[in-house]
Amino acid sequence: MSRATAFPPAGASRHWLRNSPLLMPYVYLACFVLLIVALKPNLLLGPGMLQSRIALIVPLAFVAFGQTLVVISRGIDLSVGGVICLCSSLLATSLNHDGSRLLLDIVLILALGAAIGLLNGALVAYLRLQPFLVTLASWTIAGGVAFAVLPVEGGAPSPGLIAGVQGKVAGIPASVIALLILFLVWLWVRRSVFFIDLVAIGSDEGRAWLTGVRVNRRKLQAYCVTGLLAALAAIWLTAQSATGSPRVGDEYILASIVAVVLGGTSIFGGAGSAASSVVGAMAYMLIPVAVYALQLESYWSIAIQGVVLMLAVMANAGAQSLVRGAGT
Amino acid sequence: MTTLVALARRNSGVTIAWIIALALFGLGTALHPDFAAPAHIRTLLLTGSFIALAGVGQTLCILTGGIDLSMPSVISGSAVLVAYMSGSPGTSLAGTLVLILVIAAVIGAINGIAIAYTKVPPIIITLGMNGALLGLLLVFTNGGVAAQTPAPILDFVGGTVLGTSPALWLWLIISIGIVIVLGWTSFGRQLYAVGTNTTAATLAGINTRRVIASCYVTSSVFAAITGWMVLGFLGQAFVDMGDDYLFSSAIAVAIGGASILGGKGNYAGTVAGALILALVGAILPMMSLGTSALRIAYGVILLLTIVLGRFESSGR
Repeated sequence: MSRATAFPPAGASRHWLRNSPLLMPYVYLACFVLLIVALKPNLLLGPGMLQSRIALIVPLAFVAFGQTLVVISRGIDLSVGGVICLCSSLLATSLNHDGSRLLLDIVLILALGAAIGLLNGALVAYLRLQPFLVTLASWTIAGGVAFAVLPVEGGAPSPGLIAGVQGKVAGIPASVIALLILFLVWLWVRRSVFFIDLVAIGSDEGRAWLTGVRVNRRKLQAYCVTGLLAALAAIWLTAQSATGSPRVGDEYILASIVAVVLGGTSIFGGAGSAASSVVGAMAYMLIPVAVYALQLESYWSIAIQGVVLMLAVMANAGAQSLVRGAGT
Repeated sequence: MTTLVALARRNSGVTIAWIIALALFGLGTALHPDFAAPAHIRTLLLTGSFIALAGVGQTLCILTGGIDLSMPSVISGSAVLVAYMSGSPGTSLAGTLVLILVIAAVIGAINGIAIAYTKVPPIIITLGMNGALLGLLLVFTNGGVAAQTPAPILDFVGGTVLGTSPALWLWLIISIGIVIVLGWTSFGRQLYAVGTNTTAATLAGINTRRVIASCYVTSSVFAAITGWMVLGFLGQAFVDMGDDYLFSSAIAVAIGGASILGGKGNYAGTVAGALILALVGAILPMMSLGTSALRIAYGVILLLTIVLGRFESSGR
């Protein structure tokens, strides 16, 4: 029995149906873009608008990338919110040095995110605790520490960091480069043994273990990477807004899960794509813009984001049960 | 006596939770003599009762292996609507309350039907519902702050009947009702059966979908009632007033010894868990620790609970 058996047999039509949710985010994105361009083209095509919209997507793209890996392994990570809150608070207070110390600060923040992820992963993998409960606890704890570090929004992030994130490299905005790198990383990750193992774990953990996948180690790595990416998102977010906040991360929990679901990753694990999640994140970030283009009150975007999550997740579940009904 | 010991042993999680609650009460009394004053005990019980009321639905959902994350929006929505409607002329309080209960039941039914029929994880469905409701609430109340609290609701929580707040009597009656429903009715047995093994329950002829859906309806209805009680206690309504109850209710159920995988636990445990959280919330400020310490404490308590629960269940 090889590892490949963890995948479903690839009959041509069934294969298309199975992957159809992964194409949906492009449809969602196209719909939102067409809607906005039809109603208020300036919101996207006006001077500097596209660049600032892309910049807003980057932090969510990082978090959604990590969340995808965890969801594919049949887990969920709510602690990304706490990690972002804590890292943002730290970046605006004690870890806001400029110059050569800046590099050390960034390393420390990334290490902190990875450490929280490692803790989540250890509890989920080795103690076999519910991912949802473990990360709920670490979200609460990290968020509490964030409030102790920085009680209200404010602080002063490092000027060097702000300049770097908001700046350009060879005429290309840093945010565009970040997204491109993220896609390149995905092209590498999707072929890696790490990712294939995660898919196997999400499909059938017991069978994955029998075929020689180191289930616990892979889960540990997935949560660790997600924590690291959440910290990276916090760095980006804090530099972008040039301020720290102990509660900015909380919205990224719902947002990252919506991005993953819009991206067509199976909420039952075992199939998915981080690139689709990033496109899902783009679609998600366009919802408030579309609401504005429709001249609705801004509060509608919160409602629509929730409804979109419910509908998309049910549509994906429906498509997957169709695949299962037609397939094995 | 031996039966008592046997009972305590069978519900070890619940027993431990009650022992911890009593120990915390002792600690509080040792720290400050007024901790055990009747007025303070009343406040403690009220804060605990809000968590426990929200915990009614959470207990049912968790017993079936699910969870209801839409609770915060239902709680704040119900409170904001009461305060908002009482400000507009020509509306009766009773009518408003009935209307809110109907809306809550519909919300719960949407959650429940979606979860029971599509097999989508309850976390996702109810998380989406929470966002959708929050947005709608903000749209219809234009920001969602309302200061007018109807006098009957203030009196219901702040007044005194038979020596204590009517809200506490209501909670006592509801608690007894829930314990009876869970322990001595066919619905209660069906609930545990569904939570232990849904397939086996279906094969045994239980309408599992209806059982699951009714848990979410109950959860939303009790969340709405919780909203009124919190409104009566605080005297004002705002959109994020329900946020605290998302975790406190789930944590209370977890502390109370329920298995988050379903099929294990009871309401007595949830009550103990709610009292523990209320006590921690009262003791930390006495040690001059603020909200951040409270959040950290909640998280650590949750983590300890699930880790200890894991070792307890693996010990068998």
